[in-house]
Amino acid sequence: MAELTQNEKRLLATLEKEKKTDAPHLAGLLEATPEAVVQWAHLAQDKGLATVERIVAKEFVYTDEGKTYAEKGLPETQLLRFILPGTQLANLQKHEAFRIGFGQLRKKGLVTVEGTSVTKVAGASTDADETALKNPAADDKKTKELMKRGILQECETVRYAIAITPEGLALAKKGLDLREETGTLTREQILSGAWKTKNLRRYDVSKLPKKAYPGKIHPYQRIIGEMRELLLEMGFTELYGGIVQQSFWNFDALFQPQDHPAREMQDTFYLKETLPLPKGYEKVKAMHISGGETSSTGWGGVWKEEKAEQCVLRTHTTCLSIQHLAQHKNPPIKAFAIGRVYRRETIDTTHLAEFEQLEGIVMDEDVSFGNLLGILREFYNRMGFTSVRFKPSFYPYTEPSLDAEVYVEGIGWIEMGGAGVFREEVTAPIGINYPVLAWGLGVSRIAMLRLGLKDLRFLHKSDVAFLRETPSLRKAKGGI
Amino acid sequence: MAVITLPYKYLERLTCTDRKTILKNVPLIGSDVERTEEDHADVEFFPDRPDLFSPEGVARAMRGYLGLETGLPIYPVKPSGISFSIDPKLADIRPVLGAAVIRGVTFDDESIQSIMSLQESLHWAVGRGRSKVAIGIHDLDAVRPPFRYIAAPRSRVFVPLDYTEEMTMDQILEKHPKGRDYAKIVKDFPLFPLIVDKDDNVLSFPPIINGERTRVTIDTKNILLDTTGTDKRAVNVAVNIICTAMAEAGATIESVEIGGVQTPTLAPAERIVNVKECSRLLGVSLTAPQMAELLRKMRFGAEPADADNVKVQVPCYRADIMHDWDLFEDVAIAYGYDKLESRPPKTFTVGKPHPVQVNAAFAREAFTGLGYLEVMPFTLTSEDVLYKRMQREERAGVLHVMHPISIENTVVRTELLPLLLEFLTLNRHRELPQRLFTVGDVVLDCRTHQQAAGVSSHPDADFSEAYASADAVLHELSIDYTVEESKDPAFIDGRRGNIIVAGKTVGVFGEVHPAVLTAFELEHSVAAFEFDLRAVPGYPAL
Repeated sequence: MAELTQNEKRLLATLEKEKKTDAPHLAGLLEATPEAVVQWAHLAQDKGLATVERIVAKEFVYTDEGKTYAEKGLPETQLLRFILPGTQLANLQKHEAFRIGFGQLRKKGLVTVEGTSVTKVAGASTDADETALKNPAADDKKTKELMKRGILQECETVRYAIAITPEGLALAKKGLDLREETGTLTREQILSGAWKTKNLRRYDVSKLPKKAYPGKIHPYQRIIGEMRELLLEMGFTELYGGIVQQSFWNFDALFQPQDHPAREMQDTFYLKETLPLPKGYEKVKAMHISGGETSSTGWGGVWKEEKAEQCVLRTHTTCLSIQHLAQHKNPPIKAFAIGRVYRRETIDTTHLAEFEQLEGIVMDEDVSFGNLLGILREFYNRMGFTSVRFKPSFYPYTEPSLDAEVYVEGIGWIEMGGAGVFREEVTAPIGINYPVLAWGLGVSRIAMLRLGLKDLRFLHKSDVAFLRETPSLRKAKGGI
Repeated sequence: MAVITLPYKYLERLTCTDRKTILKNVPLIGSDVERTEEDHADVEFFPDRPDLFSPEGVARAMRGYLGLETGLPIYPVKPSGISFSIDPKLADIRPVLGAAVIRGVTFDDESIQSIMSLQESLHWAVGRGRSKVAIGIHDLDAVRPPFRYIAAPRSRVFVPLDYTEEMTMDQILEKHPKGRDYAKIVKDFPLFPLIVDKDDNVLSFPPIINGERTRVTIDTKNILLDTTGTDKRAVNVAVNIICTAMAEAGATIESVEIGGVQTPTLAPAERIVNVKECSRLLGVSLTAPQMAELLRKMRFGAEPADADNVKVQVPCYRADIMHDWDLFEDVAIAYGYDKLESRPPKTFTVGKPHPVQVNAAFAREAFTGLGYLEVMPFTLTSEDVLYKRMQREERAGVLHVMHPISIENTVVRTELLPLLLEFLTLNRHRELPQRLFTVGDVVLDCRTHQQAAGVSSHPDADFSEAYASADAVLHELSIDYTVEESKDPAFIDGRRGNIIVAGKTVGVFGEVHPAVLTAFELEHSVAAFEFDLRAVPGYPAL
């Protein structure tokens, strides 16, 4: 049973003796207001320990005018007493009750006026009226008359009859702790040891708590953090770099031909700013035109420096990987980046112009396409996807290329990202002599599935209520 | 991406197998089946394989992959006796011409549609929207050779396709739908490219439109193919892909003479590839005969040259084979990706987080400890949000994107605070207090760095709260700072401070100005602060 408050206990203890009584009486005994007593009784009633009966009674009360009459008699009664045989009207007029009383007497036909004298009729009496004034009754004609005259008023009164139930009685018989309750403990009570003798208030645990909202990490940032940790565990070094990149690093160094559709204005955010080309860019240029010193044919055609100098908002994080490789040519290299990338897409529920991409690279002597499949399998398994499969794909800077698919219960096979071995056209000009395995995936896609979002924009324009309600610890099932 | 319609009946006839087998295996050579209908499937192929942009090309590849017909497909070519001349004035306009004669075609509405769609896919994937390559297909019997590819005056008239009246080429660019679509490729040249026959009849105004005279109909028996462009390799690939697809459909191919050279030859290119290099790249152990067999499955001519090398004949339609590794990918596809042994590399390495992200994590910890909720606003925003509503001057180093998608995404953010205020606007109907923070990239002068910002919105938010919160976060990050009165118009005068580290202003805090609150349609006061994370001692230089 839910805990009893101190007041409920006191109420029950009193009721143990009184059994059934009304609120004002209990209020007197408990030194409280009747309203408070009723409230405690209701709490006890909720626990089946007491009953509260609401009794509505109609009652007649005197108006201010009526109160005077109750004392002195009705004006007509007062006048009637005053009239003796031969009483002169002029004398009678001096009586304070004359104005109302005389009219009433005439109306009731209790007096007659002859000349200047007033005479009672035989048997004249206002007893019936006085009785109605003393003991009004709802269906009494006289009472109704008095009400009409504004002497009596009818009003409703609510009374509460409070009784103890057998359960309440049993509980009270067992004995109730009636000591005064202590709410929050004070410093003094703690230090002095007074708490030992205090009756500490017990709280009702069945009630819902007040809402408190902790400060916390965004659920999307948590997913990013999870992937980051996973890659750190797998021995990868984290990369970070600028949002603004030269076309050279974003496209040319990755062997994307200068006339490639992805480089057009409608797909990429260009800036009017330019940056000077890095030292040794000529090797990249030669690779594009003729395949440089490799077995490649290159793209042929022309390669313009101005095009490579132009700045863009990075379209992928691969631009960070390639710059990292250009600076770190000795194997082994294992690196990753999770960063925002930009595509000139019309924004809707499943497309954003900016989104997070994860990218990983492995460069080592004798790493193979089979190793790439192994890394991906391990990575996706660790993310919670137990079934992984691969199929051929195409990316301009990798060969061979693949797409990885994972199986999600209730959805089926979904594409999770692309991967491949960097083309020699990519690695040779920056002086990398070993194979580079690379893979990437869209982080927001996983976040959307995991958080059950229908609109990608919600990750970046979040409802505070959603952030407050989404728990920090959400166990992913089957990767989702 | 190119989505190709594959009618089952036609494909089954060409492939010599059933649709189920085809649909099961077609993704394994590199494609996505977009949808399957009652009589056809729509399949997406990658842009590096334009030879698969027709049912004929897909059937050719599938026969190999399924082992029904392997090795190099042979396409005999005999001279047609037809010649083309090229006007030297085209050198700076559109210099490259490829052409072929295709005889014995039997067209119906479906097969005309099929070749038109191959043509369009090639325009997209190889032709870069017709600028690099444009293809014209003509009824050969409507005109008389020899043909001339000339640079003609823009006032030259002819009847373009789908019209009945003669128009000048200038009028075509202005009025014809195709003219309007592709005008930008030629409009700056004084003369326009034109292909005419012996009698000066116009075949084509490349890359814009053909003449109505040579329209291909179901009665067409013989085709003249013209392909013009700026890049010889791309032009040849387009010719080869169309000719070999038509040959697969049963036509015979004849060459034409252009500048004394017979073209096309449809002859393969040769490469010698190393078996060990391939095995190493794929992580499998192959012998030369095994590798040759796998390549034949992918329709290459392939024979072991010796124990370590394979001599490969690359079909003329394989535009993507630029490098030996391109062949190795085909070996992997023939082998089967799921049959390759997948094992992580053995090398031992230790993971290392980037210091920028380590610092960001500390900042997040400090904010959440203060009860702030993280949000992750977009990095693209507008001058209106960043500056106008904040009553601030536009920053000198702000980057404007050249072709924004909307007026809400015109610049890259230089501050975070305005975006947090925008967030409060978005969440006006939610319970207060709202304490929000974000840690993330901003860009100034093409350089990216991280900042951190927090806002607290409730009826009692004031300067003291802003100062206390800023102080707590700065302290947690060991930033030793001093404060001076700020002049930032985003805050109330007398209730704003600059955060100074080593004599430099690195941040600001205070009570947000009521005019700014009004601009963001906010009703309650906001205590706010923002600072540059580069103020963290020992922060990495970028």
